[in-house]
Amino acid sequence: MTLVRRLAGAVRALLRHDASERELDDELQAYLAHLVEQKVSTGMRADAAQRAARAEMGSLAATKDAVRAVGWESAVEALWQDVRYAARVLRRSPLFTIVAIVTLALGIGANSAIFTVVNGLVRPLPVSHPQRLALVSSRQALAEGYPAGWVYPVWQQIGARADAFDGAVAWSGVGSPERFNLAQRGEADLVNGVFVSGNFFTMLGVPALLGRTFTPGDDARGGGPDGAVAVISYGLWQRRFGGAADVIDRTIVIERAPFTIVGVTPPHFLGLEAGKSFDVAVPIGLEPLIHRARGSWIDGPGPSFLSVAVRLKPNQSFEAATGLLRQMQAGIYDAAHPDDSSYREAFLNDPFILAPLGTRSTSEARQAYERPFVTLLIIVSIVLLIACANIANLLLSRAAARHGEMCVRAALGASRWRLARQMLVESSLLAAAGALAGLLVAAWGGHALVAQLSRFRVAPVAIDAEIDWPVVAFTAATAIVTLLLFGLAPAIRAAKVAPAVGLRGPGPLLRPRSRRSPLVGRGGLVAAQVALSIFLLVAAGLFVRTFDRLASRPTGYATDRVLIANVDTSHTRPTDRAALTERLITAAARVPGVVAAAAAPSSPLSGSSFATLVEVPGAPPPNRQDPPIPLYMVTPGWFDAYGATILAGRDVSQGDRASSEAVVLVNESFARKFFPDGRAVGRSIRDAWAPEGETQRSRTIIGVVGDSIFSSARDVIPPMLYQPLTQSPFGAAPPDLSIAVRSAGSAPMAIAVSIARALADVDRELSFEFRTLEDRVNASIAQERLVAVLSAFFGVLALILAAVGLYGLTSYAAAQRRSEIGIRIALGARRSEVITLVLRRTLTVTAAGIVVGLAVAAAGTRYLRAMLYEVSPIDPVTFVGVTVLFAVVASTAAFVPARRAAIGSPLMALRAE
Amino acid sequence: MGTSDKGSGLVQGTLDMLILRTLQLEPMHGYGIGVRLGQISQGVFQVNAGSLFPAFRRLERDGLITAEWRATENSRRAKYYALTPRGRASLKRQTRDWETQASAIARILHANLGEI
Repeated sequence: MTLVRRLAGAVRALLRHDASERELDDELQAYLAHLVEQKVSTGMRADAAQRAARAEMGSLAATKDAVRAVGWESAVEALWQDVRYAARVLRRSPLFTIVAIVTLALGIGANSAIFTVVNGLVRPLPVSHPQRLALVSSRQALAEGYPAGWVYPVWQQIGARADAFDGAVAWSGVGSPERFNLAQRGEADLVNGVFVSGNFFTMLGVPALLGRTFTPGDDARGGGPDGAVAVISYGLWQRRFGGAADVIDRTIVIERAPFTIVGVTPPHFLGLEAGKSFDVAVPIGLEPLIHRARGSWIDGPGPSFLSVAVRLKPNQSFEAATGLLRQMQAGIYDAAHPDDSSYREAFLNDPFILAPLGTRSTSEARQAYERPFVTLLIIVSIVLLIACANIANLLLSRAAARHGEMCVRAALGASRWRLARQMLVESSLLAAAGALAGLLVAAWGGHALVAQLSRFRVAPVAIDAEIDWPVVAFTAATAIVTLLLFGLAPAIRAAKVAPAVGLRGPGPLLRPRSRRSPLVGRGGLVAAQVALSIFLLVAAGLFVRTFDRLASRPTGYATDRVLIANVDTSHTRPTDRAALTERLITAAARVPGVVAAAAAPSSPLSGSSFATLVEVPGAPPPNRQDPPIPLYMVTPGWFDAYGATILAGRDVSQGDRASSEAVVLVNESFARKFFPDGRAVGRSIRDAWAPEGETQRSRTIIGVVGDSIFSSARDVIPPMLYQPLTQSPFGAAPPDLSIAVRSAGSAPMAIAVSIARALADVDRELSFEFRTLEDRVNASIAQERLVAVLSAFFGVLALILAAVGLYGLTSYAAAQRRSEIGIRIALGARRSEVITLVLRRTLTVTAAGIVVGLAVAAAGTRYLRAMLYEVSPIDPVTFVGVTVLFAVVASTAAFVPARRAAIGSPLMALRAE
Repeated sequence: MGTSDKGSGLVQGTLDMLILRTLQLEPMHGYGIGVRLGQISQGVFQVNAGSLFPAFRRLERDGLITAEWRATENSRRAKYYALTPRGRASLKRQTRDWETQASAIARILHANLGEI
């Protein structure tokens, strides 16, 4: 109560600082006048009286200072004293202080660093009223956890009905970000692109940093009044244009079409989904311009590539808005597909649901990274707990050493509260310093983590891991919890000091043992540390083994030798492409260091592939629900170029022409699934569909290929098919071509320059991009790598901290029993007996901790199952390995001080008494 | 706690109690309080402005006294301090504590040598 009033008074004083100053002046003047008056009345002359009065009053400024100080004096002054004293105490033992602060900085910093990433994933979008943004999803999409995408006509119809809400926007948010090539020829210059509706930026309340954002007028087929316009991100503006002020109205070439830059978006706006940023935004109406060579998505039956969001009216609930939207559902379908009712039933059977978008609960990145990062957050908080236990132990040891000091202060009249407060202030200083240093660690660590996530990836993962208020608040809260964990016990112990005991003469040997030895508390702390470390080490071991399993899993390719050139031939006529492909492969194969070269429109682990459905005689006919079977359309030598093995039959050959017998190769999984008798070669399968006006083609299986990974090193390998490129079931040759070369050496990127020259020699207008297969494999398990590396790092950190704790416990025990040991040795005890004596307790504590830790781990690791791969949550190798490792480290940590105690001279020990 | 009544010869912390005591009869301004302290103690305590004013601020802050500007006997303006009910209660308590301590100290000081 008094504190509140004082604070209020202090605030008032601050607010009316001038008024109270003036009042004080007046009061002092009145006092002076009284004094002068009194002196005059005793017969002094006026000027003499004035002088005498001034002299008697002393310095007015000093008086005022003293009055001003009263406001804070008692509480703040005393606290300030404590702080200065604590700072002096900490400065006197720099080693302890540095160890404590570094431990805390790492512990708190690691927590904050992971939190910045989690925060980046869950932080509300930097748009106006994010809580009123609702993503148009459907029951099935939400239930199965895939992103809801809509075709362009459906968006047009929702957009036309946006009056029911506070507006609606659409953007190409489904799947991986669009990649726009900004280079006109030669090596591709790929950036993240997005198609947005004309009202996208204005409705979200994202202003242009420079120039303007789009208007609905820009979003017209073929462009609005300003023609083809684009808005670029702050990042691209800085990277590509060096932040030039005159970037507006410059031309940027996207997929070989010129666009005018009309604006730059602000730096904090990374798009509507964490993990997916954009560099260039283009109105949806201009999509045909960019996809002109591949077929427009908005003209005709395009893919469901659009994410649609509505903004709720201020008092509209998600349920009410969902209800409104569902009433429109039939009308939307009929208007969007006036001539095609074939999907009507399926469309209406999967009702719209509005999901909160501004809170990012639907973001793909959040779904992908939330679990690993929350797991990491738990891991680092356990590390912090262990660190706290260590610091508490250090403080308790110091408290034992400072027992005398405390006794003297208590005897001199310091209250228990004052003594406890002194210890708390010391702990607070440590915690505050640790938190400040921790923020630095977090600022660096957050970016390092995001960079690690982006490693090996084509498009960087955009997570805004900035230090903002939530991060600062999190760090402060962590520091406070930390402080309570490590600072409370020493403070309570300091308050319990009994001056009489401490000041009495005899040393520890003769001093009556307190009933509850401090060793019990310390032993408990260390046992808890051991248990937590064991748990962490087990978790880390499981993650490392998971990654090891993934990384050593056979890919089915010569992973470390393959270089892939993704070539864009969209500037050529489809009829010329077969011959061009031929020439490109020949040119690439001639480059020195290239062992084999081949091409296909798609490549493994690229995230996109062709897929088909087939009918196998004897198997039930496929239906729409079946997963489509990935299909590669390859040139002869493709398997050789990727280092895949043909187990039976033959490769496609030059003889397999469009006009010759249709052939196909299947992978092992396909053969096993459909031809369990093991005789696939020579059998035939049939396409489950056919292009307009043709009949379904039957294809003869000419070979079986060894299994190879398809989209990720984690996936179960699906049945796959390979057909000659010349017999493509998709009609005209697609403009994208992946030329794969196998190099003789194991660093295939080294030959990229020569390949680029060779390809450009064939056609100057070509545009291409290089990736190694190894990068792609690594990218597919980047998350597992990150989790394994970090958890191993923190596991080892926990091990070290626990070892330090055990070392400390043993040293302390040895110091406590120093005299006893001295006497025993003097009486003829053997060293080994003394070592056993000192070690017994530490080893008991360790054993108890190990048992508890293993039990907790066995119960807890099942929650990690989803993150493991081909490793059991109670993997015996991990459990046994961790136990052995820990036992060795713990015994070493305890043996060193025990031995030191045993070889010390008995005289020295006794002299200390 | 942090008060320093240097030069006034006062035991730490007692100035506040004495000021409350002076105000027990009637509200008074700063100069008057100082003079009254000197008079009652028959010149033993000479409290100067440097000690008085911080004490006023302290007591005001703790809600033991209040202040208002009034005209003095010779029609000047001065800040008059008055006891609040809390101040009155505090004074009673402090007086009691002080008397207990003082008599204990007196007993020790006047004890026979043998008793020590």
